[in-house]
Amino acid sequence: MNQVKRILLLVGSAKQTISTSELIGTYLIERLQSNGYETETLFAHKLLKSNSWERLLSSTDRADIIVIAFPLFVDCLPYSVIKSLEQIAGHRQAKSELKEQTLVCLANCGFPEQHHNDTAIAICRQFAREAGFKWAGALSLGGGEAIGGQPLFKIKRTTKNVMKALDLTAEAIALGHPVPQEAIDSMAKPMVPKWIYLLMGGWGWKRRAKKNRVLKTILHRPYEG
Amino acid sequence: MKAVILNGAEKDDRDIDNISTIISSELSDSGFEVQSLDLHEMKIAYCLGCFECWTKTPGECRHNDDAREVVRQFIQSDLSVLLTPVTFGGYSSNLKKGLDRIICLISPFFMQINGETHHKKRYDSYPHIIGIGVLPEEDKESERIFTTLVSRNALNAHAPSHSAGVVLRNQESETIRENIRSLLDEIGVVQ
Repeated sequence: MNQVKRILLLVGSAKQTISTSELIGTYLIERLQSNGYETETLFAHKLLKSNSWERLLSSTDRADIIVIAFPLFVDCLPYSVIKSLEQIAGHRQAKSELKEQTLVCLANCGFPEQHHNDTAIAICRQFAREAGFKWAGALSLGGGEAIGGQPLFKIKRTTKNVMKALDLTAEAIALGHPVPQEAIDSMAKPMVPKWIYLLMGGWGWKRRAKKNRVLKTILHRPYEG
Repeated sequence: MKAVILNGAEKDDRDIDNISTIISSELSDSGFEVQSLDLHEMKIAYCLGCFECWTKTPGECRHNDDAREVVRQFIQSDLSVLLTPVTFGGYSSNLKKGLDRIICLISPFFMQINGETHHKKRYDSYPHIIGIGVLPEEDKESERIFTTLVSRNALNAHAPSHSAGVVLRNQESETIRENIRSLLDEIGVVQ
């Protein structure tokens, strides 16, 4: 009898509402669920807050595939994710034998150009090397704010290339293959034209500041020496 | 001139504490007034990614914790030194917990630099940045990732100039000192 395969999704966003990281990560693992995988989702900031590293380590040990979905923070992974990776690497480096486990990363950023994620993805690849995971590759999404917290299937016109990328990735990794180039290229396509994204972005910041009655002071400099 | 060292070492990391002392002495000799912040000692909450530091309390995070000192020292310095054990090619979690909170120093609004989108400045001037990574042994890929990361940070933080390099834990103090001098020479702020 075949042993049930397990997949662990580690979400790197600490947003209080549903995040792009959670949405794309969940979409991917649900596709794998339909291929017979058992899934588990952990949030890096919750592990950090409750110091629940044992839980992270036992879930990691059980998983066959680990998916890390994270937003770009200051050109790399958020603090809570780096802390999680440090814990995992320390745990695995102390082991004499490791079973074959695969690592996949889903990076997203608020800039319209997805290549801002390149350094963070290189860090994930290096983590895989140092912690003894099989590196399956990464998908890189720019303009992540365009998803706006909505399930991908509800805004298909915007997210069709994102869903295609995740579908292709799920199919490939279920077969033990790396993330296919077609999926990488599909995820890299802008969801909306850059000029519209920039226009909407600027307008969105002003709208939020106006709602909070701080539009006039939005460029305040509290740390001016 | 003011310089701040953001030290991302773990507690009791004597090698990095020694490197921090060398950096501090080189900076003092070059005329800097030096402040060193050991981030492992600081209580800093993780960034929620809520962007309220742009749209609700402009320029300041809603968390009132030690990150405010990191942010203040960073923006009020002429030079910011990012000192860290190289961790998968990047920064340690200790350094990153401080750096994640500096986004309040830039504007939410976008600008283009060489055809690439970045955030505009909030302040008139920003510090020069030097990244110093510490590795147990030579690792070209880690070094490449680390220097790229520091340049990306420098670009997004509007640093007038930057330099980055790696030193090894087992290197002689004099070799480390020479490497640090060369990183200081590269940014061109030392008389």
